[in-house]
Amino acid sequence: MNAAACYFVNGMESETSAIARGLRRRDPDLLDRLIEQYQHRLLRYLIYLTSNRELAEDMFQETWIRVLERGHQYKPEYEFSTWLFSIARNLTVDYLRKKKPASLDGLLDEEEGVSLDPPDLRPSALELVARHEQAEQISAALVGIAAEYREAIVLRFQEGLALEEIAAVTGAPLGTVKSRLYRGLNALLPRLKGAQA
Amino acid sequence: MNRDPHQQARELIAFGSQGLTDSQRAQLSAHLDECAACRDYAQAAEQLVRSLRSVPLAADRTLVRTTQMRVRRHATQLQQEQERLWLVWMSCILVGLSAAITTPLLWRGFQWLGEWARVSSPVWQVGFMVFWISPALAASLIFLARGIHLTDTNGTSQG
Repeated sequence: MNAAACYFVNGMESETSAIARGLRRRDPDLLDRLIEQYQHRLLRYLIYLTSNRELAEDMFQETWIRVLERGHQYKPEYEFSTWLFSIARNLTVDYLRKKKPASLDGLLDEEEGVSLDPPDLRPSALELVARHEQAEQISAALVGIAAEYREAIVLRFQEGLALEEIAAVTGAPLGTVKSRLYRGLNALLPRLKGAQA
Repeated sequence: MNRDPHQQARELIAFGSQGLTDSQRAQLSAHLDECAACRDYAQAAEQLVRSLRSVPLAADRTLVRTTQMRVRRHATQLQQEQERLWLVWMSCILVGLSAAITTPLLWRGFQWLGEWARVSSPVWQVGFMVFWISPALAASLIFLARGIHLTDTNGTSQG
């Protein structure tokens, strides 16, 4: 490992260690800073996960409450964002499972190819947040594909998570993550081709 | 068995360039040099990633402020609960210690009282047991009542 990479890794470790220490102390200033820092990424992920901005905002708040309560469980060897996304995902899945058990097949099953359109999806839910035409087209295309593919695509290409991190967040094997990305991209590209033409 | 090279290339494209090893990157690059269809696919994927990153989805200030306030309030509640729990533990330890010290003395006191009042041993021993256990019983009843009260309050506020 060269000096720059070593410096980067050590820097990341010390940052995650500081976060872990602060979370164990339930430091409110640290939590304020983390909420500020991850606000857009977390909300974006939740909006695509739930396809509903209102629910995503509720889950956003619940996620941070859970971070406060379970902060002592965070291990500094892992990226904070990976842990944060997995908490958000578990909370959302639990909530949706209680609300509509049938709507979660895609996120819970290991089997591929299960098409999932969230039953409470309102056509205007994502349009409300999509400010321009291209964003609307992408949002519509994303909502049109299965939830587990959408999740993998968003985590990989929008949030920039590594494949291993996506596996940790979703609790799926690495091979399944790769397959979801491939199938998701194949499902998404034809939908966008017409829109982008 | 050889896999379809086009599918293999498209899988590598789907993993994203940062998720590939050097050899996978070289393999993909070599395939894209000679396959126009997969090149188009790679360009479309690249365009999709660019578009995805440009989607303006942002949290608004109110949500962030509300969340920060809720988290702070909850942190204070948890802190208070922790302090209460600490007090309960300290009380338990103190009670245990004082019981260990005073029980033999009390036993002798009851024995002396029994002999002085000329009652049989089982009588003063039962008296000792009642005296010894009654504070713990009273405390248990208070905690039980308090627990039921808290459950009712939480149930009402959450319902």
